[in-house]
Amino acid sequence: MNFVLIFLIVIFSSSLFFYGKSKTKSISIQRNIKLNALPKFYGYYLVLWSSIPALVFLLVWSLFEPVIIKSIIIETAANQGAIFNDKNEANLIYEKIKAIHLGTYFGDIDTILKESAISYSKFLNIFTNSKIVLIFVTIIASVIFSLKKIRNNNKAREDVEKILKGLLFVSSLIAILTTLGIIFSLLFESIKFFSVINIFDYLFGTNWSPQRAFVSDASAITTAEYEELKDAFGFVPLIAGTSFIAFIAMFVAVPIGLFSGIYMAEYASSRVRKISKPIIEILAGIPTVVYGFFAALTVGPFFRQIGESIGLTVSSESALAAGLIMGIMIIPYISSLSDDVINSVPQSLRDGSYAVGATKSETIKQVVIPAALPGIIGSVLLAVSRAIGETMIVVMAAGLAANLTINPLESTTTITTQIVMILVGDQEFDSPKTQSAFALGLTLFVATLILNYIAQRAVKKYREKYD
Amino acid sequence: MNEVKIKSNNLNVFYGDKQALFDVNLDLNEKEVTALIGPSGCGKSTFIRCINRMNDVIDICKVTGNIEIDGVEINDENLDVVSLRERVGMVFQKPNPFPKSIYDNISYGPKIHGKGETKSELDEIVERSLKKAALWEEVKDRLDEPGTGLSGGQQQRLCIARAISVNPEVILMDEPCSALDPIATAKIEELIDELKKTYTIVIVTHSMAQAVRVSQKTGFFHLGKLIEVGKTEKIFKNPDNKMTQDYITGRFG
Repeated sequence: MNFVLIFLIVIFSSSLFFYGKSKTKSISIQRNIKLNALPKFYGYYLVLWSSIPALVFLLVWSLFEPVIIKSIIIETAANQGAIFNDKNEANLIYEKIKAIHLGTYFGDIDTILKESAISYSKFLNIFTNSKIVLIFVTIIASVIFSLKKIRNNNKAREDVEKILKGLLFVSSLIAILTTLGIIFSLLFESIKFFSVINIFDYLFGTNWSPQRAFVSDASAITTAEYEELKDAFGFVPLIAGTSFIAFIAMFVAVPIGLFSGIYMAEYASSRVRKISKPIIEILAGIPTVVYGFFAALTVGPFFRQIGESIGLTVSSESALAAGLIMGIMIIPYISSLSDDVINSVPQSLRDGSYAVGATKSETIKQVVIPAALPGIIGSVLLAVSRAIGETMIVVMAAGLAANLTINPLESTTTITTQIVMILVGDQEFDSPKTQSAFALGLTLFVATLILNYIAQRAVKKYREKYD
Repeated sequence: MNEVKIKSNNLNVFYGDKQALFDVNLDLNEKEVTALIGPSGCGKSTFIRCINRMNDVIDICKVTGNIEIDGVEINDENLDVVSLRERVGMVFQKPNPFPKSIYDNISYGPKIHGKGETKSELDEIVERSLKKAALWEEVKDRLDEPGTGLSGGQQQRLCIARAISVNPEVILMDEPCSALDPIATAKIEELIDELKKTYTIVIVTHSMAQAVRVSQKTGFFHLGKLIEVGKTEKIFKNPDNKMTQDYITGRFG
């Protein structure tokens, strides 16, 4: 229904473009006046005015319609004698009524439910009809308004600019507000967690085992219970595991990615470049879960075999396997981005360097790379945040045990992996175990933020600006 | 008349299928300024880029024929391009200082060639080069500021100082003043006059007046061919070729 309406609105208002264009042309001829803008701007003006108010109206209506109908139905049901003690029961009854209306309910139907279902379909009809009528009214009103403006030869160019500016502003507002919303939801859940677990016990604890954290009543925790609890939520092994795996990944990805980027930009002939660049970029398109089982089923056991043959105990889930595969996954980010930045360094700088007798590698090392450094650091940063945020490979290849170790051959775990483990399956939302996932999310977010900030400062300080 | 420093013999240059220079035979004298004039795309820049083999940088460029400097063939595959470019410096059309400090811009070349091993030696080279480029007084208190922060004219003199820093014998200038205002241009021209006591200079220019002011010898290029070459005075007062006459009087170009 709504899609049909949107489609009709869009079709109608687009057709107004031509009307507005020809109308203003004829106006200018009839009254022998100079238009304030090209005729097409009057067309755009009509299109925008006839579509935006109606679409906004439709959106707002669709958001509120179910809520209003629901409250009306529940209230009438209550008046007719339906009994429910809390919100959940009310919801249940409402769902039953909806199911009866759709004909998918197969339980007992008493008179109250039956009556309610009839009134539900009645209300639904009324609302749909009035929605259509009101949209018509909106469109007609806005079209009349804008037609009047056009007849008076308004400054359509400026008005269109203003409307577009408004649209762009609203889009960026939505982006910012969503981000803020996510941050706040993280924050509130984390505050609940930290009201149970002391933040310092969390940040500096060296033992992570949330599966032990069974609490009978989260609102009243005894001191003895707390001693037990705080031992379950120690953040240190997770951040250690995360940084360790990310470090291994960067150790693989930065040199290979950067060098291949330099080769692509400076040495490869355009033919080689045309073929090999897409091939490298394919690496970025492989789903991480595929990398994950490659790491878990091929690379992990391979390391294990090698380890056994030289007498080392290697866990088949190891930080090394996960980090290595993650590094390979990240290579295209670094190589492709640094290739682009190196290419954008002006040729005149290279010429200047060659002209004093520098060789190609000297030029690259001392002129091109420094000039491209901000971009290269940017690409490395992007790669680091990919490495820190990567989940699937670690889940599959590095294990789940939160070992505090620097032995790359042992299994280890990361923040994201633990978030997955905590939130998979049935959860009680008031237990510290579940809430700890939000605390982890928040910590990860803050850590990445700090990392970005430091890197940006570094880039600003060391950037060599060229024009 | 000074001795011949650079000698080109039947020089042909191709960019892919397109021929840019046709059998150019041109002698350039030592410690003299030679100006190359001609309409855009006539091969002047291509010619001077052959002298320090800058055309090597362009993949599709092919050079045939000979160029000799002090009697040594440079258009030879086995020639060490690095030491050639150490001897033949170049200044480009648009000032292109490195995005480094003024000091590093000048010390870059000497460091690469292993000159100035101690800090004081480097300091001396930097000071000497900047003084020769008539920039020392303006920048001596801010050597650690970025070279890109200087004005256009100062940047170009910085680039000249960079070329001088490795102590070349020849300096090639590819329209060095085309991006500069008249005052900066006058300063550079003054500088060129001074530099010709030490260096052999080849300058490509679109300004006839500039060619008259700075050069002793002038070559006129048209469509990849060297039409006429001779003493600057003669070329501008009494050229042999009708085309040269037309060009310098502004009838085409």
